[in-house]
Amino acid sequence: MRKELEAKLIARLRDDVVCVEKTDARTIFVDVKRAGIREAAKIIHGAGARYLCSVGYDNIARDGTLGMIHTFALDDCNQFVCCRTTAPVGDPVIESITPDLPSAGWSEREVTDLLGLRFAGHPKPKKLVLADDWPDGIYPLRKDVPHDLVPKGAEDVAYELDEAPPGTKIVPVGPFHPSLHEPEHFAVYVDGETIKGCDYRGFMTHRGIEKLCQTQVSYNEVPFIAERICGICGSVHATAFSQAVESAAGLVIPRRAEFIRTLMLEIERIHSNLLWLGVAGHLIGFDTVFMQAWRVREQIMWLCERLTGNRKTYGMILVGGVRRDITPEIAEDIRNVVNKIEEELMVIHRAIEKDTSIHKRTKGVGTITREQALDWSLVGPVARARGIDIDARRDHPYAAYDEVKFEVPVLDSCDVWATLVIRVIETFEAIKIIRQCLDKMPGGEIFVEMKDKIPALRHAITVVEAPRGESVHYVITGEENRPERWRVRAPTFPNLQAVPLMLLDEQFADFPIVMGSIDPCFSCTDRVAVVDLQTGKSSSISKAELDAMSRKQQQRA
Amino acid sequence: MWLTSKIKQLLMVMKPGVVTLNYPAERPPVPKNLRGQPVWDHQKCIGCGGCSDHCPSRCILTRDVCQELRVMLYDGSRCTYCGRCADICPEGAITMSNSFEIACDDKDDITTRLELFMMTCQRCGRCYEMEKSNAIDRINLKGFRYDNLEQRALVRTTSETFSPELLKESDNYKRPSDKE
Ligand code: SF4
Ligand code: SF4
Repeated sequence: MRKELEAKLIARLRDDVVCVEKTDARTIFVDVKRAGIREAAKIIHGAGARYLCSVGYDNIARDGTLGMIHTFALDDCNQFVCCRTTAPVGDPVIESITPDLPSAGWSEREVTDLLGLRFAGHPKPKKLVLADDWPDGIYPLRKDVPHDLVPKGAEDVAYELDEAPPGTKIVPVGPFHPSLHEPEHFAVYVDGETIKGCDYRGFMTHRGIEKLCQTQVSYNEVPFIAERICGICGSVHATAFSQAVESAAGLVIPRRAEFIRTLMLEIERIHSNLLWLGVAGHLIGFDTVFMQAWRVREQIMWLCERLTGNRKTYGMILVGGVRRDITPEIAEDIRNVVNKIEEELMVIHRAIEKDTSIHKRTKGVGTITREQALDWSLVGPVARARGIDIDARRDHPYAAYDEVKFEVPVLDSCDVWATLVIRVIETFEAIKIIRQCLDKMPGGEIFVEMKDKIPALRHAITVVEAPRGESVHYVITGEENRPERWRVRAPTFPNLQAVPLMLLDEQFADFPIVMGSIDPCFSCTDRVAVVDLQTGKSSSISKAELDAMSRKQQQRA
Repeated sequence: MWLTSKIKQLLMVMKPGVVTLNYPAERPPVPKNLRGQPVWDHQKCIGCGGCSDHCPSRCILTRDVCQELRVMLYDGSRCTYCGRCADICPEGAITMSNSFEIACDDKDDITTRLELFMMTCQRCGRCYEMEKSNAIDRINLKGFRYDNLEQRALVRTTSETFSPELLKESDNYKRPSDKE
């Protein structure tokens, strides 16, 4: 693949190609000059690669440039292509690839906000990540900006929402709204009851996790912080980060540790799918499903407490392996619990599969076609419900997935119903994988130590299939025993971008379930930036007063 | 179709009945390896600062008030109960206890403070490295440390010999949101 790609790139771009190299069995790095980036991305995409995300990084101290990496996956031959370019900090403009690949839109806006790299020809160059009152010219992910900088906020600045299409009314949903579980703002444009468009303003739960991990902690603390990116797919982020660092350092971990990681990921999948099933039921007003799915799920939470010491943030994964072993008693415990869950989930499945009220609320709702889903690089069950046959566990096997057998359900009715069915099937598949893991797990060590320091400035990319889609982690190793750059792309990041399209021409009452069908995790999506600066405004108190009030409240404690 | 589904759903709900625990009146035993509140054994702690260096939420602070005295402070209000400190401690001085009912209205109720007599110790970290050989787990902040305990802030400046100036400077530490 490397040779073919190189030939294609050189034929079109000639001198703009700096080098095409393959660092390990599955990663190809393409370095191009700034002028050739858009064309290069087009060629790579044309060669059948699926766009993943873009990563910006600060290299100013070394050579006065800002770097940009567009990452792609070749799903049929298990390879990743990372297309890198740089722009001098004095003239930080490169050509946007969003006109060709719409799902790059957010990645590029994020880089503009956080690093000050601008993209010529971007169709919507608005703020994405930073708060509206964040001062111009401070780019939080640059190395010269301290991690705990709190610039002075401004009053009376608001995000300019998109122009409403003629003849429509705006219904604001959020930042705090009963049908949303996390803060984000949607302006939904409606004509009567029908949705004609929507604009999104989110990123209100920034916690600065990437910056924190790039400046404050060391490699082995990051998995614990990564785990807290998301309350639902914690192990996914911890595994993805650890794998990226291991691959950059060339560390091979014991096989038993890989099996335990697989086991944890699948246990997490069961819990997450049941959680989502409950939430979906709740969103369409069918609370029986909610109660029962969560009742069944509770057993897995208790199992995890016995297994890892905590209901959710398992803390099992470290760079180099896992922390706790699976003893024969625990293995037996896991077997019993998953048997029970399989049985009880079957009961739920039978009780709801033919229920007309569920069908009416989910069939034909939130439809987008397979082509649109491909254009927007949807991932996970949302993509599989639109006939796109991707699953990182099968296409880019990691941990012990190469040794277990499982089906990847793909449906093509393109609606919320298909998503629901897929997630239920995947829960049964997860149970199958857990049994295989327990049967096949080899003995031996569960952790291996790093002999030497991890060399600086190595790049590595990994994907891990989270219950709601694939998570991409990109790591550039650093000099001070911590990553120089760590980029997390959660599955909600691409999926959320396609929500306006899913909502188009739907009924307003279906908004919650269409939204809920992608299983949005705003905290995952919002992970970057520096501080949590909200432009919380209300008619009677100003932001400054609000701040002072909440500080006082905190200090009392 | 509708009716059979509803009947099935009724059965599904009736069979398990009420499952909600009558907490706190009823307290099921907690699993024995629960990661609850970490507790320190001051007899075992040698003051190497390893736990403070590797706490992901940076809630274990170290302050050398003079050559002889090192204060370690665990601020439970920010602890995530990950158990990393217990893993990293070369002396096994930290255990993750079973206590989880630790909601309180005063931060000091969940704060542990150790004052350790260090005599001639230069805080070089060698005692730690005797036990911990993983290259990415070594101590990053070696030497004398000056965290601000009032503000509960980790200060990343260290010095090879005790420096009264740095100690004084750390007293003036301001939270970023309080800076002008
Ligand atoms: S349990 Fe984790 S967060 Fe709490 S003090 Fe120990 S290392 Fe820090
Ligand atoms: S790691 Fe252990 S010995 Fe070292 S300071 Fe912490 S508790 Fe004490």
